[in-house]
Amino acid sequence: MNRRVLGLLLELALPAALLVGYGLWTAQAQSFYFPPLGEILQYFRDLWLFDRVGSDLLPSLLRMSAGYLASVVLGVALGLALGMSRMLRTAAEPVVEFLRALPAPALIPFSLLLFGSGDSSKIFVIVLGAVWPILLNTIDGVRGVDGQQLDMARAYHIPLGARVLRIILPGAAPRIFAGMRTSLAIAIILMVVSEMVASSNGLGYFVLEQQRSFAIPEMWTGIILLGVLGYVLNWLFQRLERRVLAWHFGLKGLASPAAAKNTGTTKRSARSAAPSSDGEV
Amino acid sequence: MLNVSHLRKVYGPDPSAAPAVADLDFTVEDREFVCILGSSGCGKTTMLRCLSGLIPFTSGEITLRGEPVTGPPKDMAFVFQDYSRSLLPWMTVRRNIAFPLRYRGVDRREAAALTEEALDAVGLAGRGDRFPWQLSGGMQQRVAIARALAYRPRILLMDEPFASVDAQTRSGLEDLLLRVWERYETTVLFVTHDIDEAIYLADRVLVLRPPATVGHEVTVNLPRPRDQVRTKENPEFARLRGELFAAIDGGTVAA
Repeated sequence: MNRRVLGLLLELALPAALLVGYGLWTAQAQSFYFPPLGEILQYFRDLWLFDRVGSDLLPSLLRMSAGYLASVVLGVALGLALGMSRMLRTAAEPVVEFLRALPAPALIPFSLLLFGSGDSSKIFVIVLGAVWPILLNTIDGVRGVDGQQLDMARAYHIPLGARVLRIILPGAAPRIFAGMRTSLAIAIILMVVSEMVASSNGLGYFVLEQQRSFAIPEMWTGIILLGVLGYVLNWLFQRLERRVLAWHFGLKGLASPAAAKNTGTTKRSARSAAPSSDGEV
Repeated sequence: MLNVSHLRKVYGPDPSAAPAVADLDFTVEDREFVCILGSSGCGKTTMLRCLSGLIPFTSGEITLRGEPVTGPPKDMAFVFQDYSRSLLPWMTVRRNIAFPLRYRGVDRREAAALTEEALDAVGLAGRGDRFPWQLSGGMQQRVAIARALAYRPRILLMDEPFASVDAQTRSGLEDLLLRVWERYETTVLFVTHDIDEAIYLADRVLVLRPPATVGHEVTVNLPRPRDQVRTKENPEFARLRGELFAAIDGGTVAA
């Protein structure tokens, strides 16, 4: 059996065991709060294939995407400015530290006052929570750009715009992606939380509504869907990261699983690990 | 072509503090190959950063072809010691070389031609699509040299460019540099702490003593083209070696 198949089986073993375990236990437990697996799946199919996709899943996804994209744009743009200017950084630091210490859900009541109960208030809350990891990581990434690369840029008269786009931004990209990954999780959390307060649709609203009407299997389907959603988004994010940062993983000797196995690889012995071995670059 | 007179550089706000460069005078002629030889900590790097316009100097004057140097001159290219940090790992070798050309008003087709020529000159034709980190250290430094050559500078400043490669690769790079120096008809100012390397490469060797003043100067009259074996067997090579060794030693306590 080859390694890939074995790896895949290993990855599937624990989830399968957990599901079977849950199924066996609920079949004899007859618990109101933990309905049998078959029942949950039945409801899942009835509700989410594809009755409520348009009414609850899509609005949630749109709010989250809008909030997340706004966080990325805002975080990277502000991070570049603050990372490059010590003066701006000094001036902005107390405010940034205060705002990021503020739990974003605490501003839900205020955002409802400001924007009403529509999408804007939810997007506002998502941005307020998700922008910080991106902002702070971008600042650190920008400050960590190699001074010699910037000297090189000056010696060769590279104009400021190209310096930012072709040297500083790519140089900071590994850190920016680290921030974006944290923010993705935060954005999903805030999407759910903001929808649980004063909302008329969305996944968060759905889960809370089902619980209030004691529709427990239905509630579970919403929770499962949220878990699947987080898993899929994270997987997509990883694919994007591998693609955009192919050079970074190559540099670190992690261009392909084969190269990653030789953990002691130096830069030079990673020479054979071309990014093309990922099959997409 | 390059004229340095009474160059003085003091770090920090106090002009009476100990200078990194005290009172430096020298000239480099057009198409000349000059090596600056000095032990570590003698102010070589500071001097080079002043010459390249990357940092301001305290007093004195630097002129390149009559023009005073106040920022990085248009006619100058710089090869840094640490190739792995001056090449951009997210660009292929070809894009690294072509990158400065785009902002020099060179059109796309000409930039491509200059890039291919430079790749060929450093023996990396066919490796343009690789990334720098897929190449060995010596090859990466050749990419940095190719980038400088494609820029078509009047003068090439090199800061201990071969200090971090192994001895075998190093002599190969020295010969390559001499070949491209002839081919590109450029001027080279090469900083090193290696006496043999300085003699082997240069028309003229300036010995720098802390705080960066020219303590000694020799003209190297060894025949060109130079050869790793024959040039170094030449009695004149041995004589110059002794002279420079004494000159360096006489100025500093070897660390």
